[in-house]
Formats: sequence, C-alpha cells, structure tokens
Amino acid sequence: MTVSITLNVNGTDYPVTIDAGRNLVSVLRTEIGLTGTKEGCDDCECGACMVLIDGHPVNSCSYLAAQAADRAVLTVEGVMVGDELHPLQQALLDEGGVQCGFCTPGMIISATALLNHNASPTEEEVRIGLSGNLCRCTGYVKILAAVQRAVADAH
Amino acid sequence: MNLTIATTLDDALAAVASGARPVAGGSDLVVGARQGKAPLPESVVAIDRIRSLGDIDESNDGVRIGALVTHARLEVDAGIVRTYPALADASALVGSPSTRNVGTLGGNVMNASPAMDTGAPLLVLAAEIELQSTKKSRRIPIGELWTAPGRTSARPDELCVAVHLPTQPARSSSAYLRLEYRRAMEIAVVGAAASVTLDEDGGLASLSIALTAVAPTIVSVSGLDALIGRQVDAALLADVASRASEQSTPISDLRASERYRRHCVGVMASRAVDAAARRARGESIAVPVNRSLGIGAAS
Amino acid sequence: MNPAPVRRGILATMTAATKRRFVRADGPDKVTGSGRYTADLTLTGMLAAKFRYAGIAHARITKIDVSAARAIPGVMAVLTNDDVPDVRFGPFVQDRTLFARDVVRFEGEVVAAVAATTAAIAQRAVDAIVVEFEPLPVITDLEAALAEDAPLVHTGWADYGAAGELVRNGNDASFSSIEKGDVDAGLAAADHVVTSRYVADGSHAVPIEPRAVVAQWEGNKVTIWSSTQVPFDARGGVCETLQLPANRVRIVVPHLGGGFGGKCGFHYEAHVAALARAAKRPVRLVFSRREEFVAPDRRREGMVIDITTGVRNDGTITARQAWIAIDNGAYTADSGFFPQLAAMHVSGPYRIPNLHVAAHLVYTNHQPSGSVRAPTAPQACWAVESHTDEVAAAVGMDPVEFRRLNAVDTGVEGPSGQTYGEIGVQQCIEEATKLVGYGRALPDDEAIGVAIGWWPSFAVPSGAYIKIDGDGSGQIITGAQECGTGSVMTLRQLAAEELGMEPEDFQLIYQDTSVAPYDMGATGSQTLFNNGRAVVAAAGQIAEQLKALAAEHLEASAADIVLADGHAHVAGTPGSTVSITELAAIAGGGELLIGHGSGTPPSAPPLAGSTCVGDVGMASFVAPQFSCHAVRIRLDRETGVVRVLEVGAAHDSGTIINETGALGQIQGGVMMGIGQALTEGTLYDDDSRQRNAALLEYKLQTSADAPVINTHFVQIATPDAGPRGAKGLAEAPNVATAAAISNALAKLLGGPVRRLPMTAERVWETATQSEVRS
Repeated sequence: MTVSITLNVNGTDYPVTIDAGRNLVSVLRTEIGLTGTKEGCDDCECGACMVLIDGHPVNSCSYLAAQAADRAVLTVEGVMVGDELHPLQQALLDEGGVQCGFCTPGMIISATALLNHNASPTEEEVRIGLSGNLCRCTGYVKILAAVQRAVADAH
Repeated sequence: MNLTIATTLDDALAAVASGARPVAGGSDLVVGARQGKAPLPESVVAIDRIRSLGDIDESNDGVRIGALVTHARLEVDAGIVRTYPALADASALVGSPSTRNVGTLGGNVMNASPAMDTGAPLLVLAAEIELQSTKKSRRIPIGELWTAPGRTSARPDELCVAVHLPTQPARSSSAYLRLEYRRAMEIAVVGAAASVTLDEDGGLASLSIALTAVAPTIVSVSGLDALIGRQVDAALLADVASRASEQSTPISDLRASERYRRHCVGVMASRAVDAAARRARGESIAVPVNRSLGIGAAS
Repeated sequence: MNPAPVRRGILATMTAATKRRFVRADGPDKVTGSGRYTADLTLTGMLAAKFRYAGIAHARITKIDVSAARAIPGVMAVLTNDDVPDVRFGPFVQDRTLFARDVVRFEGEVVAAVAATTAAIAQRAVDAIVVEFEPLPVITDLEAALAEDAPLVHTGWADYGAAGELVRNGNDASFSSIEKGDVDAGLAAADHVVTSRYVADGSHAVPIEPRAVVAQWEGNKVTIWSSTQVPFDARGGVCETLQLPANRVRIVVPHLGGGFGGKCGFHYEAHVAALARAAKRPVRLVFSRREEFVAPDRRREGMVIDITTGVRNDGTITARQAWIAIDNGAYTADSGFFPQLAAMHVSGPYRIPNLHVAAHLVYTNHQPSGSVRAPTAPQACWAVESHTDEVAAAVGMDPVEFRRLNAVDTGVEGPSGQTYGEIGVQQCIEEATKLVGYGRALPDDEAIGVAIGWWPSFAVPSGAYIKIDGDGSGQIITGAQECGTGSVMTLRQLAAEELGMEPEDFQLIYQDTSVAPYDMGATGSQTLFNNGRAVVAAAGQIAEQLKALAAEHLEASAADIVLADGHAHVAGTPGSTVSITELAAIAGGGELLIGHGSGTPPSAPPLAGSTCVGDVGMASFVAPQFSCHAVRIRLDRETGVVRVLEVGAAHDSGTIINETGALGQIQGGVMMGIGQALTEGTLYDDDSRQRNAALLEYKLQTSADAPVINTHFVQIATPDAGPRGAKGLAEAPNVATAAAISNALAKLLGGPVRRLPMTAERVWETATQSEVRS
C-alpha cells in the first residue's frame, strides 16, 4: 500500500507518495534528497540516523515515515542558524570533535535534543544524552568537550 | 503493508478487531523487519496520536499510566519517581535516549520479552493491565499477561490501553537493577526488581522480588514470607541472593552462561532489596540505581 | 636508572603555523551534513547490488543455478565465478577468487552477485539463486589445524602463487621466527622461569560507516566510488581481477566514514564494476551492519600465545621463548606479515639477550583476518605485558620498576638485534605513571595497571603535487587518503610552513587515483610520515620558484629571500618585500607555479646477531614508536564488571605536528583498546558462524563509558623519520590499553584473566577460580 503524505522537514513541506512500510531515513535520503542523516546499523544501535520529531530524538531507521506525517522533522541540514553554524557545530569544529564525521550529524541532533530540554546539563547528563550515538574515532572526549563548550558559550 | 493512522481509541480498536497490529513508536516492528526476524505485518494501526492513551492519572487507588506514556517520561515523572521508583529505574535504562523517547510502556509490556526492563518492576508493584476491545474492557494482574517469550494472554482484538499501579503503603519503596556490560545502550543480561515495606522497627513487613531474563517470562521469587520480620542486613541479603539464584532457570546464550546468569541474578536481587530498603528508610538514591550506586555510578 | 630528559628543543623551531589551533578543512562539510559519503551518491539509472553469501563455513559447491534469479523482472545482472576472468589474487598468497570457485571456506564468502532496479528486487533474486553444498570438515582450532594430518582449508595450497619470502606448509600460510643468542642457555641461567598461555578472540574494526561502492562505465573506462582506505590498492585489485590497465580504472573516495583498517585492502570494487559492466548501468552496493561484520577480510585476528621468560633474582631478563598461532581465517588478505610482526610484539621492547619466537599464520574456516589498527599488537602486547607482570611478581619486583630495568632505551639493542637511536620509552613510563599517580593509595576495588608497547613507522613511496594559481591561492593534489584521522588535513600546515603562507590558503584535492600520484593510503599510520615528506618536497620546488621570482623583482639574491607571512622578504633588508599573491600573478603570466614531490623514504635500520625465518622486513622497526599506558580501573567483584576510570597515555611518536589531531588519535585508540579489552570479541556457533554480528551484541564503548584520558607526548625530533622528525601515530594508541587493564585486573584478582576480551563473565570465572585456589 502506498500513502500520500506531507513531511515537514527543516521547516519545508514535502509531499511524498511512498510505500507505507518505508522507514523515515530512506525517505529523507532518497525522496527528499537530504543525505546528512546517515545509516550505520540495522537495529537502533548506532544513532547515525538520529533526527528530531517535534523536538524529540528518534532513530529514523526504525521509524515509519508515514508516522512522521504532519510532524516537524529536523535533520542535521536544518540545524544551522541562517547562514551561520549553530554553536554546537562551531564547538565541534573548534574542539576537534569531528574526525570521520559519520556519527557527527547524529551527535549534533542528540546534543540539540538534550540542550532543548536541559540548557545546563552536567557532564554525566551529556554523557547519557549522547550515549545512543556510537563514535569509533574520538573516544568521545572532544565531542563531550564540544557540547560543554557550547553550553558554556551560551551562558 | 496496510497502515491506518488512528486518532481515536475507537478507530484503533476497530482496526485491531479487523486484524491490524498496533504500533506506537514502531521501533520493535521496523527493527524486526529490517533484521529479517519478522516481515512487516500485512496490516498495522499506528496508535501514537491517540491523546487519551498518553496520560498519567493519579487517584486514591493508585496511578493509571496510559499505554503510550514513554520511558523518557516515566524516568522523570515526579509521582512515579517518588512512589514507584523501580519503574523509573527501569525506564531510565531502556535503550538510548531516543528509544526511551519513542518506546512506550504499553509497547514494552505487550512485547513480552523476558529481558524487558519494565516487567520486573511492574510485577513487584502488583500492576494490572487494562485491555480493551470494541466489545469490552478488562483488567488482569500483569503476572497473568505473559505466557511465553513474545506471547501474551491478550486476545487478538484487545489493545493494551493502560497499566494500573496500586497505592503503596507507608515505609515502602522499590528498586530495579540489571547486570550490564556497559553503562548505556544495554539489554538486561539479568535483572531484578524488589518492592519492600518496612515495619516501624525497620524489619521487613513485606517483600516481593521479580527477576528479568532468567526464565521464559519475567518471574516472581516465591517463599519470601519466611523473611518477614527480619532486618535488611547482610545475612538477609545473602538469603535473598541464594533464593533468587535457586529459583532462576536461565539459559546460556551469547550474552552469558546459565551458571553466570544464575549467580548474577542473585547479586541483582540482593542489591535491589538493599536499595529498596534504603529508599524505604528515606535515603535518596537517584534513578536509576544502576547509575547511582556501585560500578555504574558517575565518577 | 635515571631516564634521559625529554628533549623539547624542536618546539622552539616550529613555526606559528604548526602550533596554531587546527580546524579541519573538511569540518564544515561534516557538521552541516553537506559532505557526501559513498552511500550518499546517486547516478541516473543506478541499480542496487546484493550478494549471495555462502552461509556455511566449509563446503563443496555441488550446484549453482541462477536461472530463477535472472528471470525476475527488474534483475539486470547475476554474476558467479563463471562470469569473471579466471584469476586468483591476494597480496601475499594468491588464494582467493572474486566469487567462490568449487569450495566455500567461510560463511561470508561471496557466491553470486545481483544488480536489480531496486534493493528489494535484488534481494529477492539473491534468495532465488539455488546453491547446493556438500559439507566439508570445519577447521577452527589453531593447534589442531597445524597437526600433520589435519584436514586442509586449501588442498591446493602448494600450487598457489605467493610472495617469495613466505614460508608456507599446508594450513600454515606464513611461518616466521626470530632467533638470537642461545635460549636454552639463557633459561638455564635464570633464577626463575615463568611460562604463560594467553588466548585472544578475534574482533572487528567497526567503522560507523558500513562500506559502499558505486561503479559506472563509460566506454571501456570505469569510475568506482568506494569507501576504501586504500584507493590505489583497490585499483590494483580491480585491474588484476578484471584484467584492466590502471589508466582505465579510476577510484574516487568520497568522504570516508572511518576505517581503522577495516576498509584497507581490495573489497568488492571489482564485483560492483563487473555488475555495472554486465548490466550496462551504474550500480551501487551498500552494506548492512551484519554484512560489515561477516563478509570483509578485515577481522582482527584471534591468537594463541605461549611465552616463557627466564629472569635473574636482580630482575634482568635472561631469555624468552614464545610460540604464537594466529588465526588467518579462510584466505590470506594482507596478513602475510602478521607472524613476524606478532613475534616482534611478543618479544616486546625489552633487552632480551637470548630469544626464540616462532609464529604461525593458520588457515581456518573463519572470516579472513586483515590489518585492523595495529594488527597483532594489542593482543600480543596484552599477552606479553600481562606475562611481564607475572615475571616481575616472580622476582618480587614492582612491575613498573621491572620495566624501567628491562625496557630498551637509546643506544640499546632490542630483541631482534636492532640498536635504537634516541627513543623515549623510559620517558613514556615516567610520564604515564605520573599522569595517573601510580603508587598512590586506592580504594580496595580499584587498581592501576601499566603496560608499554611499540609500533613501527612504515616507510613507503608517496607523492604529491602543489600548484599556486594566479590569484595566489594554492591546491595540494595528493594521493593520500583521509579516513578521519586528520592527517591529510594536516598536509596544509606543512605546505603553508614551507611557503610562508596560511593553511587556509590551500585546498586539498585528494583520494582520486586518476588525479594524484601514488600513495599507500590510510594504512600503517603512514600518511603524514610519507605523504608529508612528499608535500614538503613539492612545496620546496615552489619555494624555489617564488624565491627566484622575488629575487628578480626585489633585485636581491635568491639565497637571501625568506618566505614568511604571505610575503617574500629580503633577509636583513626591512621593507624590501613582495607579496606571494603578487608573485603568483607574475608567474601566472609566465612559468606557472607547479611543484611535485616524493622524496626518499628512510631505509630500514640494520639488525645484528639475529636470524629471521620468513623475513618480511618487520623485524627492523623504522622510526619506532613507543608508548606507555597507565590505567585505573574499578572492579565489581560480585559480577566481574570492570569500569575504566582513568587513563594516562604517554607516547613517543616523534615530533607532534598537529596536536589536536594527535590527541584525537590517542583518545580514540585508547577507547578502542578498552572495548577490545572488555566487551569486543567475536563469538562463533558450532558451525563457525558469527553469533554477535550486530552492535547490540558486539559492544562498542559508549560516551557513558568514556574515562578521563590524559596524554603526554614525549617529543623527540627523530632523524630518518617523517617530516620535522615525526613518526607515525594512528595505530600506536591502540597497542597498550588492553594490556594495562589486564595488569590492573590481575592486581585485584590475584592473577591475570588469560582470555581476551576480559568479559565480565571471564573476570568472574577467574575470581571464582582464585577463591577456590586460596
């Protein structure tokens, strides 16, 4: 069965007609053409596909695209503030928290979700907040530092 | 796959009655299909937009938790953390922040996995599950729900709409712990929940313990009446550990051997009783116990 | 013993460009989601590829029938061994074919490939291929496989082509030994002889990006976009197996989502190219995580290690004897050099007068092993360093003191007969132990363990071009491959320093085999070591051009021109200056500013007094790197769960050119080492199939587990090394962590856990056994 739905992604409405069984990440990457959201596993374990739906973090690999209809989806491509990098993006660059970059979009989304409901997280809260996003390059040290720097800069 | 997006309970019940599989966040369903464990069902009804299933209502009888209440909400809800901390402990350990955000209590319970984290807390807290069909509504003790791994006693046309927890007596509290090999993104290797009520002298007035991932379903530890009246001390905790170990019937799999599981479930049970008793005495142990005490504590 | 002081003089000679904060050139692409990785590419008419795998560890193929698959609408190509050139390949032993021929030897072996209009149709076609097998005995036990009458994984092994230096015999795909002095006499002279056995399970690289390949033909030329760490190696594999000249195969690597060795070697580029040729359409292959675990020949090798060491009462080592069996898996990937490298690591960076180490690379019906970050080293270091603590205990010596006494040092001869120039192993021991406060009082569930490790730098040819265009902006065109480490990104700093410009003045054009000269790729920690030399040489040519132009313009001698701050200055004549932009404009109308460089790789140091059998050149370490890791852990005694709280990592990797990048390598390598120590190990079922080929069951460490990691670089500007006296760095941090954790655990348990990973259950078993003993 195909369904015709409207997906609101990064503030823009996209009408799409898709099979009802399609997951959100494939529709974002293929129909909508936003490839910043990555796929690293088959089972909600790596976090590379993280997006926000109505402000909450969701593994888009394991979420039916049709369930996102008429909800606000935010991907890494929508994080910039106008033409400027978001403070989290800038902090990741400044702290050296980006290496291969494949986990980076998901990390940014999870950090955004964390800071949306907790503007001053403790170090432990940041660690737990990012714990659904695996990184093999950094040992997490500089990523955690970047989030804390973004928090500090905001205050 | 045929998909219905229900916005009212009646729509959802009608769809379920006609054979649709209910999904909330849908992650178990989609992951299962992607891993080839089970193809997507022919017909699915998405129930996540039914607002009435997303409430936590406190009353004189206890609390009614709508099936769509997420783990993320349960782990921070003040009433749950205060009165039913074992459920908050478990909710805070499920998957990752995103799976806790998408995953619902109803989904976890109806999935009937013997490794589910919320099961043991619900069992020791004497939860009842509210099942509804187009024809009728009924409540059953949660211990009667799970029949086998992935199997429940719910009828095909029934939808889980809520979980009920009774009021808790004075000087009581609860806790849930699990064995985990890393501090996040885990599945319970084994786990244990305890609910404890103390008498005025600090002795045990009531005790219930349930075990995770050591049997085909979540199971209660029996024969605990013999411990009533005793102080919660090292000797009692050792008794608890050996009873839990003896009554467990774990399997060996890639996560642990039968022997190690049997040992560790005793350790988890004694720690859960200890944490629950300390909470019952008024000590503040933050949710989840796994990340407040011992090896998992923030440092 | 007083260690030599850390020499810091090199820092004073570094320019501002080297010391300034490093922000990656590819960073903005990566934080905004605009950077494209291979799986992000779409071409018009593109088909999806899927593979049919053996699914059985060892069997003879009795039937393959693809007719039903070919009949499915939307299926555009189905290939088996019959459809590709009859070529056996392999860098050390030519024991492989693109598709299984007659016999399958591990579960992830590719039997057939399909290209179809959608991935779902391709999967249906894969499932419709009929393959019938006659099972053969499954070989998994390393010692049993070496027995004379053992069934063979490759019955035709003797007829395979192979590198001449390999010593092969049946299931022993590569044998190597290092012998020095008289081991029997050395052991006889010892006051204590300690013998240990350690067994390491295989593990995985697990880059977060699963691999992807896209191929498109135009005429008789093919362009292949691939998530490879080694584009030139991948091109070589395509040329060899599809019998094409190098100039008709172009490999382009989009952004690469991590490698850790897992994406070294030649993988699937030829399968996808062959599908695209047959289907006459572009084809894309994207792996699932499960495929990423099961199929590539890049698993970290399991090992069995027996070590015997003789030691005098004063703590000096008299002799070491060791036997090593390495799980090669079903085919020989780049593992031919593993035995000699493992022999070096089991010897360790110690003064050992009498040595005999023998190492076998053993064929089994497991997934093939290949170079995962510091191949053989973490397991071998874990074994030898755990053993070293046992030896120190036998003579009642503090294990750190024992290492100070026995570790190699500047001017000292190492186990294989190499005498080292100035090295910093003693300083590493000093600094790492200081970082974690070794010796301080700890709670009774905590302990600090210490281990030292080493790793060679790899000296190989490499090339780069640089051009400065008429507007003064520069481009570095290099064959080097960026896998996330930042080493290609760092090349801008080197060019900028040579030319008195800023790193931001340069763009990088990289990882395209048809554009840039050869580079070995992101492997062997070699990028900055070798390609840095090439970039410095290329920039040097442009510097000469600029100086000549400036000399003419400023009416001075070229020898007096200094390039700095974006200008050419006449030394000693303030105000006599011209901007490089201006010079570039002049050059733009005449002789263009183009440089090319390669430079001469440093040669291997000589060995004295040792005899090496199966010598693949690994017994001599070029620009050897040293490290010491000191790790504080906490143990839950009731469950065996271990948590790493704090790591002090001290490294001698020569001069550090990019400190931000270098710290990232240490932190990531340590974290990978923690995973390998505690939670990462491949589990097999009775039929030799992987049981935990998923990220829920193969557990990487998470951000919630990350310890405090403090790092100290012992910076010695090393001659005969990389640019500015740099050595390699990316693999060294992965060597000693598991060993240090083991030694901390042994203190808490009263003895070591002899199996890697040291899972909670294995720790608990060890604790239970030692309770029984006491």
